[in-house]
Amino acid sequence: MLMPKRVKYRKQMRGRLKGKASRGVEVAFGEYGLQALEPAWITARQIEAARRAIVRHVRRRGKYWIRIFPDKPVTAKPAETRMGKGKGAVDHWVAVVKPGRIMFELSGVSEEMAREAFRLASHKLPIKCQFVKREEAE
Amino acid sequence: MSQQAELVELIATRRTAMGKKVRQLRREGWVPAVMYGPGFDPVPLQFEARNLQSLLSHTGGSQIINLTIPEEEISWPVLVRDVQYDPIRRDPLHVDFYRVDMTRRLTAEVPLVLVGESPVVKESRGMLLQGASVVEVECLPGSLVDAIEVDVSDLAEVGQTIYVRDLAIPAGMDVLTSPDEMIVHVAPAGTEEVAAEEAGEEAVVSVISEEE
Repeated sequence: MLMPKRVKYRKQMRGRLKGKASRGVEVAFGEYGLQALEPAWITARQIEAARRAIVRHVRRRGKYWIRIFPDKPVTAKPAETRMGKGKGAVDHWVAVVKPGRIMFELSGVSEEMAREAFRLASHKLPIKCQFVKREEAE
Repeated sequence: MSQQAELVELIATRRTAMGKKVRQLRREGWVPAVMYGPGFDPVPLQFEARNLQSLLSHTGGSQIINLTIPEEEISWPVLVRDVQYDPIRRDPLHVDFYRVDMTRRLTAEVPLVLVGESPVVKESRGMLLQGASVVEVECLPGSLVDAIEVDVSDLAEVGQTIYVRDLAIPAGMDVLTSPDEMIVHVAPAGTEEVAAEEAGEEAVVSVISEEE
């Protein structure tokens, strides 16, 4: 699963998820993209599950890009532990996703296949998503 | 290898709503814009969203537009310099127009259009990966073209690449984009099944602040 190799600080504060994405909102590498319509923390497991769904569907064809990276640590306290005694240990890693963010991209496959791959991938994610195409110069 | 630019007409209205009041403007179906250029004062403008959207859908950053204010009977040649879009609905939120001085050289982004079909793609041996979709050029406004065509029918082998230096650039135009920038690359067909790094949760993340 995706996670950073090296971080500046072990734990982070939660922060707030306000507004829409301003970066990573255009299909930049491939022809098709999967865009988030809701804000969420996408865990490394969810990204991996969505990636597998895409790869499994487009098998041996096309190229894909993952445009989000889980670089935010989420901590959790062990089960049956009394409150206090400080913040818990890092449990998993998440990517902070705001509406508008392109999370995955695909290229070298038909539109139908890309739509189906992203439909399958979107079922692995905790948010509503939409299929988008690269804007072409006319 | 390039499509000659043609003049497009667009009707504008002067804008009095500034700052946060432009939100009201957008709700009423207008799109705020600004026009500026060297030696001219900026002019705040507004456009009917429907007209502007249809124009932006078929105009690139290198097409000269004749911008007219009917009430004042003025018109200026302009270029679309920047468009801010809503990330989800893709509605234009604000447009920057660059007022063109026809005697002065300017820089503009010319879109690249892929033409032809690569034999590699036809035979399903590879796929085209597009890099740059525009090139930045410097020229006189009269020499601008709508788009520069990139012929991909010569890409017959996997691994071949077309760079900016390979483009057929119209006369009188200087390319500012790096000549080594990739435009199209033929990649082998099929994704290598990247085995997920089963590092798992046990993988150690080193912490910089604790390394000293």
